[in-house]
Amino acid sequence: LSDYHVVGRSVQRADAVAKAMGKVLYTTDLSRPGMLYGKILYSDRTHARILKIDTHLAEALPGVKAVITAAQAPDKLFGIYIRDRLIFATDRVRFIGEPVAAVAANSLRVASQAVRLIRVEYEDLPPLFSIDAALSPEAPILHPDLAGYEAVYPYTRYKNVCLDAQLRMGDLEHGFAEADHIIERVYHTAPAHQAAIEPHACLAEIDDNGRIVVSTGTQQISVLHTELAMALGLPMTDVRVVSVALGGGFGGRLKTHFEQICALLARAARQPVKLVLTREEVFATTPGRAPFTIRMKVGVKQDGTITAKDVDILVDAGAYSDHTPGTATHAITMAQGPYNIPNCRARARVVLTNNPDWGCMRGYGAPEVAFATESLMDSIAHELGLDPADLRLTNLCKEHDPIISTQELRCVTIRETMLAALKASGYREKKGHLVPGRGIGIANLIHITGFLSSSATVRVNEDATVTISTGISDIGTGAHTVLRQVAAEVLGVPFESVQIAAVDSDTAPYDTGSIASRTTYDSGNAVRLAAEEVRIKLAKVAAVTLECSPEEITVEGGQAFERLNPGRRIAFKELVSLALYATGGPLLGSGSWLAAGPFPQPVGEGYGQGPAGTFLFGTHVAEVEVDVETGKTKILNYTACHDVGKAIYPAGVVGQIEGGAVQGMGYAMFEEVCLQEGRMVNPSFVDYRLPTALDTPTINAIYLEHPDPTGPFGAKGIGEPPIMAPAPAIANAIFDAAGVQINEIPITPERLYRALSSKKDFSGSSGQSGR
Amino acid sequence: MKVVMEKAISLQVNGQFHSVMIEPDELLVDVLRERFGLTGTKKGCGTGDCGSCTVLLNGNPVNSCLILAVSAEGKSILTIESLGNANHLHLLQQSFIDHGAIQCGYCSPGFLMVAKALLDENPDPTETEIRVAIAGNLCRCTGYAGIIRAILAAAKTMQEAAIE
Repeated sequence: LSDYHVVGRSVQRADAVAKAMGKVLYTTDLSRPGMLYGKILYSDRTHARILKIDTHLAEALPGVKAVITAAQAPDKLFGIYIRDRLIFATDRVRFIGEPVAAVAANSLRVASQAVRLIRVEYEDLPPLFSIDAALSPEAPILHPDLAGYEAVYPYTRYKNVCLDAQLRMGDLEHGFAEADHIIERVYHTAPAHQAAIEPHACLAEIDDNGRIVVSTGTQQISVLHTELAMALGLPMTDVRVVSVALGGGFGGRLKTHFEQICALLARAARQPVKLVLTREEVFATTPGRAPFTIRMKVGVKQDGTITAKDVDILVDAGAYSDHTPGTATHAITMAQGPYNIPNCRARARVVLTNNPDWGCMRGYGAPEVAFATESLMDSIAHELGLDPADLRLTNLCKEHDPIISTQELRCVTIRETMLAALKASGYREKKGHLVPGRGIGIANLIHITGFLSSSATVRVNEDATVTISTGISDIGTGAHTVLRQVAAEVLGVPFESVQIAAVDSDTAPYDTGSIASRTTYDSGNAVRLAAEEVRIKLAKVAAVTLECSPEEITVEGGQAFERLNPGRRIAFKELVSLALYATGGPLLGSGSWLAAGPFPQPVGEGYGQGPAGTFLFGTHVAEVEVDVETGKTKILNYTACHDVGKAIYPAGVVGQIEGGAVQGMGYAMFEEVCLQEGRMVNPSFVDYRLPTALDTPTINAIYLEHPDPTGPFGAKGIGEPPIMAPAPAIANAIFDAAGVQINEIPITPERLYRALSSKKDFSGSSGQSGR
Repeated sequence: MKVVMEKAISLQVNGQFHSVMIEPDELLVDVLRERFGLTGTKKGCGTGDCGSCTVLLNGNPVNSCLILAVSAEGKSILTIESLGNANHLHLLQQSFIDHGAIQCGYCSPGFLMVAKALLDENPDPTETEIRVAIAGNLCRCTGYAGIIRAILAAAKTMQEAAIE
């Protein structure tokens, strides 16, 4: 039985009733008196010089209140890792979808009409649509000032390469010399889109003090606030960001998108402006997950022991760096996989092109390398005639093993997740015994959380209720529920008496945000520390009344009492009154958490990601049926097992596993941003296929609880890991079913059909050759 | 300059009649949201592909972004606002809350309206029938598992209540 009164219980999340009634107001639902509608004019050229922008016709259209271009915008460079962009294109455009101008008008109809009246004269420049083209010696340089741009880390940058980073461990040559076999493969992952169901939206207005107020759904209010002020060239005190309910994040609502544009329109028109993107604009202009090309080479002994691994990753950044330097450094950090490999090297290069401006999505480079690593494990097993599960068990990492990012592994539970997943899926009974056309595949994962800082305050109100102030928005995951549970547990008060203050940049303590599987671990720790500070304050007041020392006081169950003499007690509510009225408030605690930091200088060559607070492990097993006539794959059974340390809010944990696994199935089988000469040709839900209820099996979601002493009540994180394993687990199951290995995702029926057609000796039988 | 001819129409929304002057090309979703303030009906794509704007038209689930408001005249329109209130939630709403069917919540009204139409028609659906019924609605958070559990559980509760 649990020792906790709130932690570990699937309490009812606060927003559920309002959401079930359709009462929650998202940014798309907001309106203001006199509100105008904004519309952006995007570049329709991949690479061109801007000769002239003529806005006269647009300005003359009745109902138009403001038309702005680069001429009306600050010329301050901004960007999340590398400050390489301006609000509007000035002298040249670098991708289809780059903002060139914007309009505010009294109706959306007029605003849409007005942007079409803006005449832009371009002179086309030679475009770069591939990494190869961008790396060639004759390639035009897309950002002549690249090396001089301000950047958060001193990345190695040259020509069209905005990051060239490397991590190394051990002696690679020695490792390959020890090996009996050397196996090398190249993997491709398609660009994907977060495709949250709420389109990107923003409402900007000017308050009575002349400050710009932006209301929007965001995963990162602190970062959005900082970057917005930077782009506008204003002190942060002149900009306020109000976090609104968000209809899905997944990495698509970090930092700023077009909040600057909306703010400039509101300032120019002196009226509130709402800007909502169409679905086509969401797909075609907001940064999705970048395409990766991953070359992996391993040395392996006859018994399956891996002696060396060399990884070379090329990332297409698109026209601006955005989040791609971060996803690339995260990818090389995770490139070793959950295996003990003494000699490793991982290099990433991020290359600028005239493709869309790629950013990041759930997993942040880790699902990309997990697909490569775990597919390669099955190639090794195949080549050596070993069972893929046995090969993995031979090489699993253990406590204190070094990893490539110069850290020691801790709280390693990959063996536990793997054994649990094998058992739950019936892998051993099924492998090699399935009917023809069916196959079973396994994939492990390692991820990290616990980096960058979180802070929070916890305040006890006059009536003994508790208010948490945080920069964490609940983007649907249940993060606010977890934070409330943590505070309630520490203070020994009912869950229902704890609430979260409105998330507003005027009051929210700094937090890196609802990203990177970090809210439970990092923000949960910040709230825990803040609540503990309040508890200590209360214990001091109780000690005076109960005439003992504060150390002898326990605060729990709505009371404070002397530990060795529990009869001497005071009710929590009475204690709060004493503390506020007799002693003097505030009953305020603050907590700050930075698991691994501050960020060190680069640990590798040109590298910029710090070590992590803790490591996350999981194992998925997929069972599929392949129709060899059509290449269509059906997922029959799916097991997803994750160690979460401690499930503070179990319903939330299960929701993350089920939802993440299904998103991973989309990444594995359907989802691809298709480009033709830099233009997205499938910007709709019909052509960019999300998984539907008919495509997905019931997920057997399993969570293990091996507490991490550094996590709040032992908890780790669960947001991103579930999306990492489906692509390789499904690819490996297809390999088992049909005998072909597809090294490119998504594995669409067409891709699989082509591979099956070109496989000369395909017999349609189950199992792999060489067994 | 385009000359817009406005037209007076009367719509029956959630049992009440509303008269409104609209332009002939206004979509039902926009009239519900912007004229009547019924923002529970969400807009995710505007092209009938995500199901977030689902309302019931004479009891049938439709994408209100594909329906001209003028064509809804004389028909019964039910939106999420008709389903239940905080003091008396509809069984489906409570079931969605209890079974992890709601994360970001943006798609929830659409799913709830489709689920209501399903159970009105077929009070004891199989899991496959539920999957078919909700196949036109996209959810990016839950992976559908919680939604399917919720609809199955609500159907079971309704069946039990009907027997008693």
